[in-house]
Order: sequence, then structure tokens, then C-alpha cells
Amino acid sequence: MTDNGTYTDATKAKGEPIIEVIGVDKFFDGFQALKDINLRVGLQEVVVVIGPSGSGKSTLIRCINRLEKHDRGRVVVDGIELSDDVKRVQEVRRETGMVFQQFNLFPHLTVIENITLAPRQVRHVPKVEAEEMAMQLLRRVGIPEQANKYPGQLSGGQQQRVAIARSLAMKPKVMMFDEPTSALDPEMIKEVLDAMVELARGGMTMIVVTHEMGFARAVADRIVFMDAGQIVEVGTPEHFFTNPIEDRTKLFLSQIL
Amino acid sequence: MSLETVRPTLPAAPGPSWARRNLFNTWYNGLLTTVLGGLLFAGIWLGARAVAGFDITILEVNLRLFMVGEFPRDQLWRPWLSGGFLAAAIGLAAGLIQAGSRERAARSGLPFTPTTPRDVVRRLAPVIGLVVVLLLLTRTITPTLLTVVVAIVGIVFNVSGRRLHSRWGWVGVGALVVAGYLSLAAFGGVGWEDWGGLHLNVFLTLAGLLFAFPVGILLALGRRSALPVIRALSVTFIEVVRGVPLIAVLLFGAFAIGFLLPEEVRPSQVTRMLIAITAFEAAYVAEVIRGGLQAVPHGQTEAAQSLGLPGRKTMALVVMPQALRASIPPMVGQFISLYKDTTLVAILGIGELLETSFVVNSQPDFLGKGLFVVTLAFAGLIFWVGSYTMSREARRLERRLGVGER
Repeated sequence: MTDNGTYTDATKAKGEPIIEVIGVDKFFDGFQALKDINLRVGLQEVVVVIGPSGSGKSTLIRCINRLEKHDRGRVVVDGIELSDDVKRVQEVRRETGMVFQQFNLFPHLTVIENITLAPRQVRHVPKVEAEEMAMQLLRRVGIPEQANKYPGQLSGGQQQRVAIARSLAMKPKVMMFDEPTSALDPEMIKEVLDAMVELARGGMTMIVVTHEMGFARAVADRIVFMDAGQIVEVGTPEHFFTNPIEDRTKLFLSQIL
Repeated sequence: MSLETVRPTLPAAPGPSWARRNLFNTWYNGLLTTVLGGLLFAGIWLGARAVAGFDITILEVNLRLFMVGEFPRDQLWRPWLSGGFLAAAIGLAAGLIQAGSRERAARSGLPFTPTTPRDVVRRLAPVIGLVVVLLLLTRTITPTLLTVVVAIVGIVFNVSGRRLHSRWGWVGVGALVVAGYLSLAAFGGVGWEDWGGLHLNVFLTLAGLLFAFPVGILLALGRRSALPVIRALSVTFIEVVRGVPLIAVLLFGAFAIGFLLPEEVRPSQVTRMLIAITAFEAAYVAEVIRGGLQAVPHGQTEAAQSLGLPGRKTMALVVMPQALRASIPPMVGQFISLYKDTTLVAILGIGELLETSFVVNSQPDFLGKGLFVVTLAFAGLIFWVGSYTMSREARRLERRLGVGER
């Protein structure tokens, strides 16, 4: 591990940098949601983003696959700089998977159709092959027996695991999670976190917005603390949970731990 | 007090009603109820006629006019043949839908209750009753026999549709509908400009909606387009058409199209009505679909985009299917309105059902006999049966799709 516990150093990377966010600002109707964000994520690194609600965590990762458009600065994903060029945006989206708080599964399609839709339509994988891969992914997240059900028939935890499998089916280089367990009943959180831990251990590059401090402590290479649209402090879990430096970090941690 | 005695009192479960339990408990009982109901109705009618002096000869003599307008007598085999094709198409489509939902249910473990003959009879009871009444007005046995043949064709196709799993089944439905049209109009037949009676109302409704549907989808998408010109055109068209009564659109279609086009290419009166109805309905269909599009959460679009699906595929494969599903109930409502509104073409003297129920009173035999009540009630009954059956089916569909629950 290269991180030595220095804070606000957002440029330390474990491997080759795959995501670079440089001086990014984002405004919503005059309200500044992101202020001069600098973040570099290396290959196979797991970055957990924490912070109070409204601090810009979700906006940050949504800028990385351009669900939101940044107003200033640069966002580069695997060497592709995001701009208004639709082709580039789609290239980036193919390489970044995203898991949403509300799952956002397609309710009119079965589980397996949810998973195979994008590989077949975007990567033109033949049906049989796509379905084989989907079944493999479903086994990985532990619910192969649900393949032919509709999302509405599954529990929240199962739906979120399908959503993870759906993203993985595009073979992304980076996986982003936007509060993946916040809409779940407590007893279902673990099954989703387990799937994410397994993914991290497998070497997936991940950016995770979450309030699950246990997960952050166990899996994160670096924790990024955000408040009021800024990155306040960056460090290893060890640094974060034992001797945070910034007052705002201390205050936040004292409130949630 | 034991625990069982404090069970809360539930409102009466929506179980089978009295009629459903006693009159429609099997398909043959349902059929019997319906046929006897029709006969009872006819009996009351005949009684009222005897008492009040109503004369239903006007209906008996003009039944053909009411049904198919001035269709030549020696060509009447065509509507029957067409009816057979349509019955086959409807039967096949219903069967395919059944097969589809059964297959889906088998895969996903969703509950599935097959439609039994009893359900069909119960749901179509008003239509069957009307058919009995109509057949009572005929003077020969031929129409009854032909009706039975048409019904059998529908049932046969329905049964085979339930066994089909292939998409080709829907191609078959399309082919049957086309055959139904061709058997009327092609090979020395009668084009729609000379159709009339109930037949014309049904045709204008079906064709109007069929043509309005794709146009409506385009308008709804145009209204959301990122291109200002397309958006402005769509909004203008929708708002102008919706701000004008249908009758004005029909008059515009009748006179403006006739005035603007040279005689050689001027379409017939009925065609102009069809164009006007299509334009009118397209604006309403567009608004219905827009409502459906708004009902699809934005997260669906985001999820599709984050998977790298391009905009068009996101719309076609993720958003539109959900929007259309949400649009089905209001669309049926629109369909029912249109069915009744097709009577407005009467103002141009086109002999649809309502117009017919007026003009038959001018026949020498019936002139000045004050039989408007009889003929109007008859036309009203026919419209009511169609509208009521459709609206009940719409409510059933709404429950099944769970619209309003999610």
C-alpha cells in the first residue's frame, strides 16, 4: 500500500491511474455541488467516498460516467476525456458499471433479460453466449435460481445483486456504487455487501459511495471524505478511523460511529 | 377470550357475485343465461310493441342497412367472409396472448389463471345477447347458421392459438386482418367509400386508431425532442388539434381537403373522414403516450445509459415498452370515445349507424309514424354494448397490469 496517511492528497494511486478527476466544478441552478474536485483512482483500487448527505458524493461519481455533466475541469476515464462527444461518453459508459440506490432494474424484463440486454445490444454478444455469462454472474452473486423471475418478484437484496450482475455483464473496468445499501432492509444489507467484498477481492477497481463504515474499514484502500462539495480529507481506513486530522471529519465520524 | 375471536372483521371479499355464482357458473350455463336473456329482452320488446303500438318492422326490413349500409345484396357473402376472417384473427390473438402469459408464468413462477370458456361467455355476455337480438330480427335461418359458423371459426383459431408459441402467430393475425379487408374490397368488391352502417363505425374506429397510433408515438417523441423545430411542430400540431372540436376537424377534412386538391386526386368523402379522424386521434394518442413516458422513472433511463445503451435503444427497449404498458388503460378509453364519435361523420350524410337510424324513418312505409324512438334506441343499444364491453375489458386489463398499484 502506497498511502502513508497524508490527507487531502487525492493523487496517490495504487496502480496505473484509470480515473482522473482534475479541478472539477459542478453547478445546479447556481448552487455549487462540486468545488475544485481532484481525485485519481488507480487500477484495482477500492475508493470509498463518505460524507454527509448533500455533500456531493453522488454527484461526483455521476460526473464520472456523465450522468451529470461537469461544468469546469477535466474527467478522464481510461484515457478518454469526457466531453459533449456522444461517442466518447458511450465508450466511457461501456467501461464503467454503475449500481444505484434504487436498483433501477428494468421491471418489464426478467432477471436474465436485464443482464443480457446491454451485452447483446451494445457488444453484440450472441444470445446463447450472453445467457451463459449471465448465469455465471448470477451464480457469483448467489441467485442463479432467480434467472427467469421478474424484478418485482425479488427481495431488495436480490434485486441489488441482480443490478450488480447486470453491470458486470458489460465487463467494465471500473464499478461505481451509489449508496447501494441505503434502500435495503437491514437484514438484506449483508448479502449485497458480501457480493461487493467478493468483487473487491477479485481485483475490481471500485468507487463506492456508502454509509457502511464496516465495509469501508474492511475493503477500502482509501477513504475520501467530502463535505459541502469539497474533498476534505483522504486517507487509509486506519488513518481515518484512528486519527483523522480535519475537524469536519472528526465531527462527521463522531456523529455516525 | 381466545385469540381467534379477535380477528378483525374484513370487508366482504370481492368473491363471485350472485350472478356469477348462479347464472354464469359454467360456460354452457353462461351461454344459456345470455341467450335466454336475449330472448327475454326480445319478449319484453314484443310485449311493449303490442301494448304501445311500437312497430319493429322498420328494424327487420332495414337490418342490412343498419349493419352494412348500402352493401349490394348479391355481395353480402363478402361481409360474412370478412367477419369469419376477423373472428379468426381475434380468436387467434386472444389465444396467443394466453399462450404467452402462460409461458411467462411457467418460467417466472408468477400466478396464472387461464381464461376458461365460462369467463369468455361471461365477459362477452352483452355482445352475445346483442347477437341473439339481431338474429331474432332476421327473417331467414341463413344468418343464424352463418353466425354459428363464424363463432366456430373464432373458437377453432383460439384453441390453436393457445397451442402456438411462435411469433409467426402474430404475423398470422395480421394476415387474417388483411384478408378480412381484402375479402370486402378486393376482386370486384366494395371499397370503404361505399361502406355504411355499424360496419363503417367499426372500420373508422379500428383504422383511425391503427393509423393514429404510430403518428401519436412520433408526436409524443417529437414533443420531447432536443431539436427545437421538431418540438415546436409537434406541440403546435397537438395543441391546435386538441383545442378544436372533432366536428370542426371533420368539416375541415371534408371541405378543405376537397378544396385544396384537384379533382383527379381528391380522396373520397370517407377517406377524408379517415384522414381527419387519424389526425385528431394522433394528437390525443400522443398525449396519452406522453403521460405514459412521464410515468417511467428517470432512473430507468439512467440505468440504461450507464450500461452504454445509446439513446435510441434506451427509448425503444427500456422506456417505451414501459410507457406503452402504462398507456393501455387510457388508450382504451380513447378508443371507446372514438367509437362513439365516429357517428359525427353523419353530418356529412355518410350512412353510418346513427345516420341510418334517422334516414330509415323517411322511407315511404315508415314516414310520419314516429318510429325514431325505436330506431334510435336500437342504434343506442348497439353502441352501448360495444362501449360497455370494451370499458369492462379495460378495467380488467388495468387490474391485471397492476397499473395504479406501482
